[in-house]
Amino acid sequence: MAVSALIIAAVFVVIFAVFAVFDVVTGKRTKEKYRIRTALTAYLMLAPAILLAFLFVLLPILYSLGYAFTDYYLLEPDNIKYIGFENFTRAFSEIASGGTLYRALINTVKFVIGVVPLQIGLALLLALFVNKPLFGSKIFKVCFFAPVVISLSVTSFLWLQILSPSRNGLLNSVLGLFGAEPRDWLRDPASAMPCIIILSAWQGCGYQMLIFLSGLSNIQQNLYEAAALDGAGAWHKFTAVTWPGLRSTFVYIIITVFIGACRILTQPMLMTGYMDHTVTLSYYMYQQGYTNRWVGYSSAVALLMTIVIGTITLIQRRVLREKN
Amino acid sequence: MKKLLSCLLMLTLSCVVAFSAVACGGGTTTDTKSGEVDQTTGNTIVKIMFHVDEKSTEGLAYKKRIEAFNAAYKDRKIKASATYTARVQGAAGYEAELLNNQVEGTLADIITFDAPNTASYAKSKLLYNISSLVSEDVQKDFYSLNTYDGSIYGLPIQESSAGFFYNKKIFREKGIDVSAYTVDNPWTFEQFNAVCKSLKDAGVTPVDMRLDATKDETATYLLYPFIYAAGGEFTSQDGYTATGYFNSDKTAAGFTFIKNLITNGYTSYAIGPTDFFSGKVGMYLSSGWTIPDLDNKYKEFFANRDDWGLLPYPSSAVAASATGSWSFGITNNHHSDKTAATELLLWLTSVESSDAITAATGMIPARKSVNKNWAEGSPEYTLLKQLETSGKERPVTVAYPTFSTCFNQVIAALGTNDVKTLLNAQADTLQSEMNRLKQK
Repeated sequence: MAVSALIIAAVFVVIFAVFAVFDVVTGKRTKEKYRIRTALTAYLMLAPAILLAFLFVLLPILYSLGYAFTDYYLLEPDNIKYIGFENFTRAFSEIASGGTLYRALINTVKFVIGVVPLQIGLALLLALFVNKPLFGSKIFKVCFFAPVVISLSVTSFLWLQILSPSRNGLLNSVLGLFGAEPRDWLRDPASAMPCIIILSAWQGCGYQMLIFLSGLSNIQQNLYEAAALDGAGAWHKFTAVTWPGLRSTFVYIIITVFIGACRILTQPMLMTGYMDHTVTLSYYMYQQGYTNRWVGYSSAVALLMTIVIGTITLIQRRVLREKN
Repeated sequence: MKKLLSCLLMLTLSCVVAFSAVACGGGTTTDTKSGEVDQTTGNTIVKIMFHVDEKSTEGLAYKKRIEAFNAAYKDRKIKASATYTARVQGAAGYEAELLNNQVEGTLADIITFDAPNTASYAKSKLLYNISSLVSEDVQKDFYSLNTYDGSIYGLPIQESSAGFFYNKKIFREKGIDVSAYTVDNPWTFEQFNAVCKSLKDAGVTPVDMRLDATKDETATYLLYPFIYAAGGEFTSQDGYTATGYFNSDKTAAGFTFIKNLITNGYTSYAIGPTDFFSGKVGMYLSSGWTIPDLDNKYKEFFANRDDWGLLPYPSSAVAASATGSWSFGITNNHHSDKTAATELLLWLTSVESSDAITAATGMIPARKSVNKNWAEGSPEYTLLKQLETSGKERPVTVAYPTFSTCFNQVIAALGTNDVKTLLNAQADTLQSEMNRLKQK
């Protein structure tokens, strides 16, 4: 493993060096002393960032790409064989046969469809609310942002108490006041994923709220004044001034929330465990890679997932950019 | 330009100095075939990894035994160096650390591992075959050994057994007599159901079967004996066949017994984790680790041992009870000479260590010769007697992680699904994993 890492590092250094030499040579050719110095300074300054990006981003991606074509079993790191597309074939047949990977895919799609609009909608509403110069709006801002800085493990535990299936569970006891029977929210396939969606949106929306707030602060007040002079009401001001002003912020938020939602792992892991109705793609990969120790297969699924998410993100950008 | 070059030179020199410092930071040791040797003291360092937090009761017990080892082996120039990584759910826990070390080639000389992992760790040669390192007398003194394919790969730290803790005050108030049900005369599934019915009729939630504990190994550990008791099996003897075992009629009968407890209202997924301890539930399925809790906490409901007791597992076709705990194993790391590691292993599994560690954990000592001094009829005595008479280990299979997941998934879905359908689906999953591992 160390040897392969060194080989990859060497290739990377060579590519990096070629670029650097090219720049320096071009500078010499044009006899611009200033250009040589600039190029060297730039590469020197870039070096730490590029080294870190190589170690923590590029190298893991390259390894994962390589492992996807092997039978790498975590307990036998010295016994890795190249098996071609076998892992991919297995993944596709698992999807075709309606196996756990298929269910993970469906659950992830359900989660994304549920959480992306809910989280963004909530974030926008909260941003609009705290953006008004009302008494105590700063306190609300802190309160709405608080769940973001709390660990997901802690918030999941908190929600486990709220959604406890016993009569004493917070939600069940409140509903019990209206005569409802206690319900096992997280074990019931009909309610488990909606509960995880609500928890995730609640936990994450504070962060997007802050981004929306920075977007709102960039909208000039005179636009609102002009709209008011034209007789626009609150709704018209929102559709004609606020929304167009937030469009680029919205594009950024929708892409980041979408990517984050596709990677959901902690909430189902802590709240329900590995169950058919809540297993997600990331949880499936974790289970295959760590618990079952099939790193090769897990890497293949990760690669497929990256391709799918990447493609959808590109489409999103394209569609939203055109509209913009 | 000169300035730039001198900056570059300074940076390079700084890097060289920094790397040298890192490389030489621990530079007082040399790696040898028997372990790292401290050059100043000449001690051979045996590294050991524990699965608990250093400050926990169990961690402190290990720490004391390590300190005693270091004092005793000072003249023989062997020193134990321990690291403690607590088990947590997710990628940051003990198992993840262990697997990372295996991949990086930095495995400690001795590790602790959960007994069901013996097969996979042994097959993949993570564990060293210690059959020839442990004398026959010592082997015979253990209640169980971590074996795979006829060889020994680990020695248990402690043993375990589980049973039904029951609230004697509730039983007395409701006039339910269970005194006849002992390990020598275990109750049957029917008698268990009858007691549950009496409790339910008296307005008490009868039993917490720990159906909510399916996120980790707890539910598997506590509930698998019911399947054996019904005459069922999980896998073939060689651990590579699940079809026809995991979904056999007898296995289904065991799971059906648990399902009927749910459908009859004797247990449920909704029982809170402290409901038994606050006097709301009649019985509580758990292991020996609950004894210190009942002795020391929850004094409001369980003032002393007159307020609670322990009943064995009920039996049907056969008697079966839960066993297995964590063990010590020597790893197949790059230190080929295992002499120093063997000394530490035997020290930590000695009668003295076994006694000291189980005194802290409340579990059953792994060695038979440890003086137990438990009064007949006491909960500890019941667990020990049950271990000796009906203890049956979890299936020995290299696909154990998948088995555990499948078992948990069956339990989690048991309340609302057909048993046979669930078992067929999970048997397919387990069989598929076994096939892959067989080919590997």
